[in-house]
Amino acid sequence: MTAARQGPEPPGEDDLATRFRDGDEAALREAYDRYGRAVLHLATTTLVNRSDAEDVTQATFVAAWLGRETFDPAKGSLVGWLLGIGRRKVVDRIRASARETRVVETVKQLPEPVSTGPDPDTVVDRLVVADELARLPDEQRRMLELAFYDDLTHQQIAAVTGVPLGTVKSHIRRGMQSLKRRWEVDGAAPGPRPAGLSGAR
Amino acid sequence: MQHLDHDRLVFLALGESEAADGEATHLGTCDHCRGEMETLQHVAGLGAGTQGLAELPDPPEHIWQGIVAEIRAAEELPALTERRLPRPADPVEPAAVPVVARRPRRSRRWPGWATTAVTATAAAVIGVAGTAAVLGGGGGEPADPEPPVVASAPLTAFGSTPKDASGDARVLGDNRLHLHVANLPSVPGYYEVWLIDPNTMKMFSVGTLSNGSGDALLPIPPNVDLRTYTVVDVSAEQYDNKTGHSGDSLLRGTLTG
Repeated sequence: MTAARQGPEPPGEDDLATRFRDGDEAALREAYDRYGRAVLHLATTTLVNRSDAEDVTQATFVAAWLGRETFDPAKGSLVGWLLGIGRRKVVDRIRASARETRVVETVKQLPEPVSTGPDPDTVVDRLVVADELARLPDEQRRMLELAFYDDLTHQQIAAVTGVPLGTVKSHIRRGMQSLKRRWEVDGAAPGPRPAGLSGAR
Repeated sequence: MQHLDHDRLVFLALGESEAADGEATHLGTCDHCRGEMETLQHVAGLGAGTQGLAELPDPPEHIWQGIVAEIRAAEELPALTERRLPRPADPVEPAAVPVVARRPRRSRRWPGWATTAVTATAAAVIGVAGTAAVLGGGGGEPADPEPPVVASAPLTAFGSTPKDASGDARVLGDNRLHLHVANLPSVPGYYEVWLIDPNTMKMFSVGTLSNGSGDALLPIPPNVDLRTYTVVDVSAEQYDNKTGHSGDSLLRGTLTG
């Protein structure tokens, strides 16, 4: 069923992304209900100050709405685009507070290390992968969660779930492929792609 | 040696099995396979970090309200959100001029039928209130045709104004502005109606309203350029001997012909 996908946008979402782009205000609320928590998570985990994080979340949706004409559903998902905007705003905020800290330090002559939260790119990447994981068929998701979270081998997963080993392997292989493809489309910094790989097989 | 099987790369990336001698040699020399495996390893690492992300808490509602308020303000008139308005008679300072005047998107958010419906409602209200009383001066002849509507604007609550406040502005062909307002919050002073040029922030007062709900007909200068003064604004004013806009806008809308 994953092979039936036409583009990077997961099925069922084309409509929301299109309506958002077309300026349907109901789509803005829907996008906020679906992805507001991911954007807020990005901001709260990377910024020290909670009210900064809320400001960034608000500014992200405002910027997305006012700039919705620049969103191209063919280039990535709506949540990936929103997280990209959020990431830039987070980075701006971190830079601004680093500048302030430097000024304060210069005045106080007290070199105090700026507390560094998790890297925004990594947080975005995790959120994108989590989003794709949530969209996988139940079986694939279950197998991958057992592998990721419980660190089980395929053999152990087969034993725990009662699913034949060959089936476990194929679920995991397909699931991994979907996660990888999604990350390559929507990730913050997928980095240099392996030579000769166009992403999709 | 041939490239490694993709299944095999997935399992190696997940640490499911060790690379056999031949595989290790191939991975050492083949950028393609090594790159693919490293990508899969990275994705698996991200996957392991997703625990708990499926059950993130909902963001607080006040963020949503902030989004709506900011979008309304930006779509209507960016510079007015600063709440510091040039007085009508003052020369406009460069800093007060919005860098980019965002074109209002009224037409998209308000489909034609909606505007028509609002206008029809306003017309119905006039009908109830009595054509003679509202339009005035006509002597009450029911045969009096209403002047043509040159431009109109639905007015919506601005900033912290309660959302049930609304209105409708119509420029009539005989140089009058017909305003219909409803549910304006009560104010200690009075309501004043303005026409604003969103590009330069120049504005002038069209008149005052006596009630928070109802209709008014205000004369407008025959030579006013309505392609320039496109924004209709209703503000709350104090009896403070200041003739300029208080900065406290209650309703706003953009005229479209």
